[in-house]
Amino acid sequence: MRATTISDLARPSLAKGVRLQVDSTTGKNVLLYPEGIVELNETAHDIVACCDGRTLGDIVCHLAEEYEVDGNALAADVRDTLSDLQQRRLIEFK
Amino acid sequence: MTALRPYALLAEITYRCPLHCPYCSNPVGASLREASPRSHGGEYSNGELTTEEWKRIIRDAAALGVLQIGFSGGEPLARRDLFSLIRAAREANLYTNLITSGIGLDDDRVRALRDAGLDSIQLSFQSDEPSLADEIAGARAHDSKVKVAAKIRATGIPLSLNFVIHRRNIDRLSQMIDLAEVLGAERVELANVQFYGWAFRNRAALLPTREQVDRARDIAIAAKVRLANKVEIFYVLPDYYETRPKPCLNGWGQRYLTVNPVGDVLPCPTASSAIPDLRFENIRTRDLDSIWRESESFNRFRGTEWMPEPCRSCPQREIDFGGCRCQAALVSGNAANTDPVCEFSSNRGRIDALLDEVNSLHHKIAGWTYRQNPEHVLASP
Repeated sequence: MRATTISDLARPSLAKGVRLQVDSTTGKNVLLYPEGIVELNETAHDIVACCDGRTLGDIVCHLAEEYEVDGNALAADVRDTLSDLQQRRLIEFK
Repeated sequence: MTALRPYALLAEITYRCPLHCPYCSNPVGASLREASPRSHGGEYSNGELTTEEWKRIIRDAAALGVLQIGFSGGEPLARRDLFSLIRAAREANLYTNLITSGIGLDDDRVRALRDAGLDSIQLSFQSDEPSLADEIAGARAHDSKVKVAAKIRATGIPLSLNFVIHRRNIDRLSQMIDLAEVLGAERVELANVQFYGWAFRNRAALLPTREQVDRARDIAIAAKVRLANKVEIFYVLPDYYETRPKPCLNGWGQRYLTVNPVGDVLPCPTASSAIPDLRFENIRTRDLDSIWRESESFNRFRGTEWMPEPCRSCPQREIDFGGCRCQAALVSGNAANTDPVCEFSSNRGRIDALLDEVNSLHHKIAGWTYRQNPEHVLASP
C-alpha cells in the first residue's frame, strides 16, 4: 500500500508478535519482533503509541494538537511513517 | 562512543533432541567433554545447568542490555522447566522466542507456553513431504509437526516455519512454501544449510548443486512477490556459492551471546567445537558481565585489530567483519584467517574443490551420518 492511499478511516495497530517497549540501556523506545529490534525516533514513537484502535484521522488530529502544527502538513508524515512500518510488517491496518 | 552491549541471548538449554538431523549445528560429540565442568549437585545430573542457574543468567543478561532471548537446543522442550524459564524471561522484559521441533507439544503444553507469555515460535520442518521429512530427521516426526502447527495457530502465538535447505530437499522449495501457507504461518525461513557441527561432517551429502541453488533462488523470489501480504519469506543463500563472506554475528562479540547447556558462554553457538584452541569461560566460575566485557574469548576477534590481510586493508572490513571465525577454523585450520568463502582468501581453493566435486557429472551423492545425542558425553563421572 502506498502511503498516500492509506484511508483516514484505517485503524493501524502493532502487527502480531510485535512489542513496543523501552530499551532500559539507552532509554529509547524500540519495537521488538521475532527476528529483530527497531529503534524508534521520538516522532515515530508518538505515532506508534497512538496505534491503539484509533483511526488514522484521529491520530493525526491528536498529534497536530499535541505539536501545535497544521494537521494537513502532519498527515503526510504520519502516513509515511506508518507505511514504512507496515512494509516492515511491524504495523498492520484494520 | 557507546559501550558494547549484547542485544540477544541464545539459550541452548539442552543438547538432547528426539530428532537426528544430519545438518545439526550442535557439536559433534567428544569436543563437549573438555568444555564441560562437572555437575555442581544441581537437579540435572548430566551436567546441564539447573533452573536457578538459568534464571540468574536471564536476569544478568537483561541487566547487560539483552532485549531478546531464543530458547533452543537440542530440543528445548526436553527440559520440563522450559515454561518457568520463559516466564522468568518475560519478567525480565525480554522478547521470548522458542526454536523447537514441536515434538512433545500437546494441547496443554501449547497453552502453557502461551500462558507463560511466549512471544513467538519457530517450528522446524525437514521437508513438506512426510517420508522424506522423516528420513532426514531420522525419526517419525512430520505428521505430528503438522498437528502441532495447528495447535500453535489456535493459541494465536506468532508462528514461523524453519526449513533447513540442502541437496536432498532443495528441489521441493515450492512445496515447502505451500506448506507454510497452508499451515497459516506468519513467516517461513528457508535457510540453506551452514556447515558447522554435524553439517560440516556431512558436507558432501548436503551441499546442493549450482543448478539447484539457482532454481531455488528464483522460486523464493517469485514466492516473495506472490505472498507479499500473507507470508513473510526469508531465503538464505548457501555461502559456499557466494564470493564474499556473510557478516557473521554482525561482528564477533558485538551483539550476540550464547550460553550452552553446560554453561559455557560463547560469542557464537558453534565456536566451542569449531575453535578448539580458544578457551571459553563458564557461567559457574565467572559472571556474565565480565565474560562479555573482559574475557579473552569475547575480545579475541572484536573489532578489526585482529585481522590479517587481505581483510586488514579491505574496504569491506567493517561490512562483513572478515566473515565467520568458525568457518575459517573448520576449513583452513585457523580461526584468525579470512573466511575461506571470500574470493580473496588464500584458502578459497578448499571451498572450490568441494563445489567442483559436488557439481561434477560423475558425482555420486554421499551418504550422511545422523546426529547422535550427547548424553553419554555429558554424563557425570
